[in-house]
Amino acid sequence: MLSSEKRSLVRFLVIYLLSTLLLFSLASWIFYTSSKQHLLSRQKQMLKYTSKKLENRLRKLHKSHEDTLLYPNYKQIQTAIYDIDKHYIFGTYPKAHTFDATQKGILYEKRKVEPYYLGAAYILVAKPVDEAPIRNLQKNILFFMLIAGLVFSVLGYYLGRLFVAPMRESLNRMNQFIQDTTHELNTPISTILTNIEMIEALNTEHQNAKELKRIEIASKTLSRIYDDLSYLNLNHHYHRKIETIDFSALIEERIAYFSSMAKAKDIKIVRHIVEGVQVEMDKNDALRLIDNLCSNAIKYNKHHGTLEVILNHETLVISDTGIGIKKEDLKHILQRFNRANKSEGGFGIGLHIVSAVCENYGFELEMYSQINEGTEVRVRWEK
Amino acid sequence: MGKIVWAWALLLGVFAYSDGLESRCLACHKAQQIPNDLIYRRYLLKYSSAKNIENAIYRYLKNPQKKHSIMPPQFFLKFPMKKELLIPEPVLHQTIRSFIETFDIRKKLKLKSH
Repeated sequence: MLSSEKRSLVRFLVIYLLSTLLLFSLASWIFYTSSKQHLLSRQKQMLKYTSKKLENRLRKLHKSHEDTLLYPNYKQIQTAIYDIDKHYIFGTYPKAHTFDATQKGILYEKRKVEPYYLGAAYILVAKPVDEAPIRNLQKNILFFMLIAGLVFSVLGYYLGRLFVAPMRESLNRMNQFIQDTTHELNTPISTILTNIEMIEALNTEHQNAKELKRIEIASKTLSRIYDDLSYLNLNHHYHRKIETIDFSALIEERIAYFSSMAKAKDIKIVRHIVEGVQVEMDKNDALRLIDNLCSNAIKYNKHHGTLEVILNHETLVISDTGIGIKKEDLKHILQRFNRANKSEGGFGIGLHIVSAVCENYGFELEMYSQINEGTEVRVRWEK
Repeated sequence: MGKIVWAWALLLGVFAYSDGLESRCLACHKAQQIPNDLIYRRYLLKYSSAKNIENAIYRYLKNPQKKHSIMPPQFFLKFPMKKELLIPEPVLHQTIRSFIETFDIRKKLKLKSH
């Protein structure tokens, strides 16, 4: 699965699952609240029934002429009777209980009765809330949420795959196209470059030296594009050989390679290269890093501009006096197929490759740019 | 000084009339077979609180009339209307409270075991 495809799938899943979770949580909360209310009202109904029973019992006791009047005692239920001024008369509480006192976790049924059998104007019936059915309800809702979460995750993944399928298709098509193009370009470019080199070597004072230089530059550009596209295409399957590279020598070699391109735009190359700078990395990665930075610095430079290359043991700095990049474009410039300036050709993969190389090796990449003044790219490997 | 004398006189008066519930009320009720408990229950049924019952009995004792009595009119066909009690106010109140306390329903109520 491609990284962009994976990213889209994850985003889709996050949005889908979060919205589903929100919806389910809301529905479950409403269901829980109403069910809990229903359970509590059933328990309260039982208290009401007990209070009616107590009222009937009081009526009978009131008419009784026995010396002892037996006040009913219901299991797990506390009852009490109060006079019209809410003074405690009698009850199952161990001590006189205040009529208006309430306690958390206790259900109360308070009722005014008339006539006042045994002087009771108010009846209070109370019992602790039976938490068992409520806990059971919570467990059921949680279980339902878990099952629903599982089902919707699977469904979301399946839908997500369907959702990103067109994108995957077009990306595959594009990759296939790049693969085919690079494969087809390789042979002719190599042939052209070899032949130019041969012509230059054999005929040092050739009449059409200028035209030949142009062909050479164009071929080198094509060759670099080929290298970049191959790098991108094979990036995941490419086995890197990490070795100690003489970065100073490599950069001198690449500057020489790009000199003809720079000369064509009358660009002055200023070098501040410390000798013997060594970096542990794959040579192809180092080539892609240097080539892309140099190529951009030439491509987006002005005629008669300057390309400055600074290399020391900590940093490589490549700066130009070119068209520069807008501040808002700097944030996205490292993304694949993104170009800040579309006036020049290209696929917008150069800085993406630079960024990928830096990320692979943990290098720090910094970019500073001013419109119409130039761009400076700083790669720091020693922190 | 005068106030102290008055207070003492009042106190002595109350003592002189204390424990007069039996002699002043219940003895007569007993002789005439007037059911005290029934009367008290009727008061409870209508007035509920001790304070309200005390006021209702006081009203009746100060002005014994059928309309002030808790008993039904038929009751007075059998039993004669009593005369107004001519005793000092504090003593009257004390006697009424004593009546309520004697027949207090709480004394009879017991908690039934499960």
